[in-house]
Amino acid sequence: MIGTARKSDADILDALGKYHKITIAGCNGCAKACKTGGDAQVAAMADQLRNNGKDVVLEVTPERTCYINHTMTAFEGKDQQLKDSEAILVLGCGGAVQVVRQATEQMGLTIPVKIALDSVGHMDTIVAGAYALEQCQECGDCVLNETGGICPFTKCAKSLLNGPCGGAENGKCEVDRDRDCAWVLIYERLKALGELDSLSEYKEPKNFARANKPRSLSLT
Amino acid sequence: MKITDLFNEGKYVLTSEVGPAKGCVRDLGDGKIPDCCIEADQVRDHVDAVNVTDNQSAVMRLGSLAASIKLKERGIEPIYQITCRDRNRIALQSELLNACSLGIDNVLVLTGDHTVLGDHAAAKPVFDMDSVQLLKVGTQMKNGFDMMGHELTQFPKFDLGAVVNPNFEPLDLQMIKMEKKIKAGAQFFQTQTVYDAGLFEKFIRKAEGWGVPIQFGIVLIKSAKMADFMNKNIAGITVPDSWVEKLRNVPQSAAKEKCVDMISELLREIAPMCQGVHFMPLGWSDVVPKIIDKSLSNLRNSA
Repeated sequence: MIGTARKSDADILDALGKYHKITIAGCNGCAKACKTGGDAQVAAMADQLRNNGKDVVLEVTPERTCYINHTMTAFEGKDQQLKDSEAILVLGCGGAVQVVRQATEQMGLTIPVKIALDSVGHMDTIVAGAYALEQCQECGDCVLNETGGICPFTKCAKSLLNGPCGGAENGKCEVDRDRDCAWVLIYERLKALGELDSLSEYKEPKNFARANKPRSLSLT
Repeated sequence: MKITDLFNEGKYVLTSEVGPAKGCVRDLGDGKIPDCCIEADQVRDHVDAVNVTDNQSAVMRLGSLAASIKLKERGIEPIYQITCRDRNRIALQSELLNACSLGIDNVLVLTGDHTVLGDHAAAKPVFDMDSVQLLKVGTQMKNGFDMMGHELTQFPKFDLGAVVNPNFEPLDLQMIKMEKKIKAGAQFFQTQTVYDAGLFEKFIRKAEGWGVPIQFGIVLIKSAKMADFMNKNIAGITVPDSWVEKLRNVPQSAAKEKCVDMISELLREIAPMCQGVHFMPLGWSDVVPKIIDKSLSNLRNSA
């Protein structure tokens, strides 16, 4: 999922600034899993905005806001409320904001779309409902076949591909003593698998041409 | 002067280290000598070369190359340190060409401390290449080609060195990386500081068969407070409790003398195991010659 964290109240109110009539669009996909943009958070945000003098004219929570058809479906029959809105506040990832903008443009509307969250990475839920961790950066040049299924590009703070730096201590990373050194994890995993030999192989620098932005996918 | 020439001659190689200032070192005609040069002057008659750190601890300073050239101009052989933290592969290769063009004969390749540990914590850490990759690319450049295989009009001829941390656990993982560095072209090693002779011996027994010269690295401990700080904040280094205790009640006036005694005692045990010593005095360059006199003159003279 795309991890999201709520911006501060001050930042959100500042972003909405002069706009009074607000539509709130959440996301029942990733943002729901992060407890930042599901139905419950949309309702709470509506209460909070009203308490700050705003007029919430519409609340929607598409199934996955980053999917244009879901967002269009959520906006179906809501043309008048959207027209009445001076701004849309999205409780979703940065992609959701841009798909909401696209949806309004497809509807012939020009409405400012603001975001209430910060997108903080591709996250995997490690402890259900409690803890998510970034384990993949979608680099486009995957090395997991050679590293025991543990990504050094993401889980090593320095994205080292040929083994650890000298900074780990007691198996913990120099950047965060609470975090495991990815290379110690990889070493232990490959040792258990009897594949330590693969650690001795030289790994070429990554092909960042595969990660040049913005990337796209043909889905046809 | 290439440092490998000294190892090949059988010389016991001594080096020390200076950190560039946070500011320019342009000659303003006021006779002021840059601090890193003053420190290098303190060791110049006692060591073979002086490392110049590359924005050490991720703290922004004068570049390693500019400071290295300042030393070279004073007749002090620099070992130019280059890290992978701040430059992508284009800049790293270009910098190696710069270094050779300006007279650098010795390059020490490091990963680099992470940006969050320094004074620009919000900086983007680059790490486009790691130290093994940079060593391999540097070696390829010495053979006349950039990493993409494009021919260089004139190619660098410097020695390439690398670092290794004997404190690392599991040690075998660090040894795998060390061996990769050798295969990538590392011609000499300087170790992270170690204060435990037994630990260093365990490391050297694993590495000695590879035939690449190793310099034992040592950070001079100035006080119990510094030892405590290192144990708490510098990852990958352990100052034993026994050292901290010995330093606990040493008055400041006697600190340098105590440092000479303690480091000398350690060196007498460790230095014969390897091919040289690399001092990291962190401002106490004046202490280095005293330690050398006290503990390394035999090794220096016998070579």
